[in-house]
Amino acid sequence: MSKRLWAAAAVVVAAVALSASAASAAGETVGSCIFDQVTVVEELVTVDFNEIKELKKRIEDGDKEAKEAKEEIVEKYEKDLEGCVEAPNPIIPEVTEIIWGGAAFVVLLALMKWKLFPVVKNLMEQRTQRIQDAIDDADRQRAEAAEVKANYEAELADAKAEAARIVDEAREQAATVRADLQARAEADIAEMRERAAADVEASKRQAIADLQSEVSDIALGAAEAVIGRSLEDPEMQRQLVDDYIARVGADQG
Amino acid sequence: MAERSASYADAVAAVARAEGNLDLVSDELFRVARALEGSDELRMTLSDRQIPAARRQQIVEDLLGGHASDTTTAMVSMIVAAGRSSDLAGIAQEAVEINARDRGRSVAEVRSAVALTDDQAERLAAALSAATGHRVDIKVIVDPSVMGGVVATIGDEVIDGSVRHRLSQLRDTF
Repeated sequence: MSKRLWAAAAVVVAAVALSASAASAAGETVGSCIFDQVTVVEELVTVDFNEIKELKKRIEDGDKEAKEAKEEIVEKYEKDLEGCVEAPNPIIPEVTEIIWGGAAFVVLLALMKWKLFPVVKNLMEQRTQRIQDAIDDADRQRAEAAEVKANYEAELADAKAEAARIVDEAREQAATVRADLQARAEADIAEMRERAAADVEASKRQAIADLQSEVSDIALGAAEAVIGRSLEDPEMQRQLVDDYIARVGADQG
Repeated sequence: MAERSASYADAVAAVARAEGNLDLVSDELFRVARALEGSDELRMTLSDRQIPAARRQQIVEDLLGGHASDTTTAMVSMIVAAGRSSDLAGIAQEAVEINARDRGRSVAEVRSAVALTDDQAERLAAALSAATGHRVDIKVIVDPSVMGGVVATIGDEVIDGSVRHRLSQLRDTF
């Protein structure tokens, strides 16, 4: 690369030098050009002095042709002078400028090659390395993100599967609980029916017993009343004692 | 309490034997006990320790004087003065049984709604003697709650022929 750079610089300098040589041959500076034109005018005035004097006289006499001739001459020399003050080629510089510029360029290029380029190269390499590192880091992060995403998706899938399993299990449990509750409720209802029937039966028996007790109380009360009246009879009392004595005696017998 | 009553009964029997009238004293003591049993006011008065012992003894002597032997009156007075009038029934029962044992007999407590005639008492004693296999003396207690008939208790054996018992059986049958 270094060789190609030096070759390119040499080509540029040579092209500029060759293109600038023609311009320098036509008249190098504005001063020298004006000097040459003044010399030409002095020669013209010296050689054609009489003609110019006669032309001036004719102009003063009002000769139009003389006046036009004068103007034509003046215009010609004005154009020549204007040519001197016109700017050189705007693209191709002068030779000295090219030489100095080329030398400066070469010196600058050498300095740059010696000092700047290594630094720039180093900076570029560092920048390239940083970019590469950033790219690698980005790739790594992307890979990690992809891995995290994959893990997340796997966990999400697991969570969905777990949720579905839990829902299914909950449904099964709900069905089991519902069945248990239904069975228990039916058992409770059956037990309540049996208990109610037993209660009714017990109440019936109790009512019958109460009725029998009440009837027996009434009957016994009546019997006691009758017996009580009978016992007021001394003969009855005597008879009861005699019966007792006879029964005790009969037991012995 | 039964042991204490037995001790008092032994003492009464010993005194009565010494006086030669155990049969009379035990019978009178039994009657006094029945009288006490039938009178809450008399029983409470003789049991009241707020009343001086001499006053209670005086009441006993006033009640029994001329109606019971001196030995019986003295024994009852002694028991009341000792503050054991509530044990008088048990003491009398023990005294009766001691007397019966002395005579080779058993005692039957006979409860009847009405008083027995002498003939009924003799026939009942003979029937109970025949039923138990040994000679029995009866002590009759008039108890209206029996209603009719007789309840005889000889030791632990009870022969209940009362109307009250029959009504109870009838009630149980219902």
